[in-house]
Amino acid sequence: MKIDESLPLEYSTEENRLKILGFWIFLGAEIALFSTLFAVYFTLENRFGTGPSAQEIFHMPPVMIETILLLTSSFTIGLGIHAMRLGLKKAMMTFFVITLMLGLGFLGVEIYEFVTYVNEGATIQTSAFLSALMTLLGTHGLHVTFGLFWGTAILLQVRKRGLTPETANKSFIFSLYWHFLDVVWIFIFSFVYLKGLMVL
Amino acid sequence: MMKQLFPKQHVMGFMFSLVLSVVALSVLTFDMSYKMGMAILIVTAIAQASVQLLLFMHIGESEDKKTLYTNIIYALFVGVVTILGTLLTMIWGYQ
Repeated sequence: MKIDESLPLEYSTEENRLKILGFWIFLGAEIALFSTLFAVYFTLENRFGTGPSAQEIFHMPPVMIETILLLTSSFTIGLGIHAMRLGLKKAMMTFFVITLMLGLGFLGVEIYEFVTYVNEGATIQTSAFLSALMTLLGTHGLHVTFGLFWGTAILLQVRKRGLTPETANKSFIFSLYWHFLDVVWIFIFSFVYLKGLMVL
Repeated sequence: MMKQLFPKQHVMGFMFSLVLSVVALSVLTFDMSYKMGMAILIVTAIAQASVQLLLFMHIGESEDKKTLYTNIIYALFVGVVTILGTLLTMIWGYQ
């Protein structure tokens, strides 16, 4: 294995570089996936039938909390990768733990939001609007949930093996995934919640 | 040590993304037309995504950056065509 010392650890071998490229291609496919879900949502957002409309069920406070939690977690994982490049394993792990805790907080608020909707009689079966909404939010939430397990597994590996070209590469790829989820959330925040609550 | 762990660029990027969220929120607090509101949301969302992509995801730093940009731009093209195409065939075409 040829290791190029001039590059950050996560890029230091050809295999590592190609894994990062491959992950970006996967993120391209994720963009296509979320685009189809947004397309469905935009098509059906006014088809609420006898159920509640977006204006009636959206509440900004929990959505703002979710946005701040996810934005901050995106910042902390960025700091984690920065610390990793400085070779500071402990700082890197601390930032990753903070990131995962913020992610868990986000998920908690989102579950609370879903429970509130269902208690208000807005289930996934109520209307086309709610089916599309919950599929979009649910797919994003599922990605975050998966990320929590993935991130935890990587943290355990870093703790056990230290910062090697392999673990650094995995951590960097995980950070790409996490930032991507933040980007998707920004679009949900803007074009689902804010657009839905805008007074026409 | 703190300075080393919190690089200025990242802190600025984070602040900028918080500011953009507040600006996006202004579509609810101020009385404005639907078109104006959507314009603000589109600009702030694209700016937010760019901060993540360019600053936090380091898209431009590897030797593969041409491939990465091509791939992401192509994916965004597919996404935009999917969304606008769907709206054209399902909504706008009937109005």
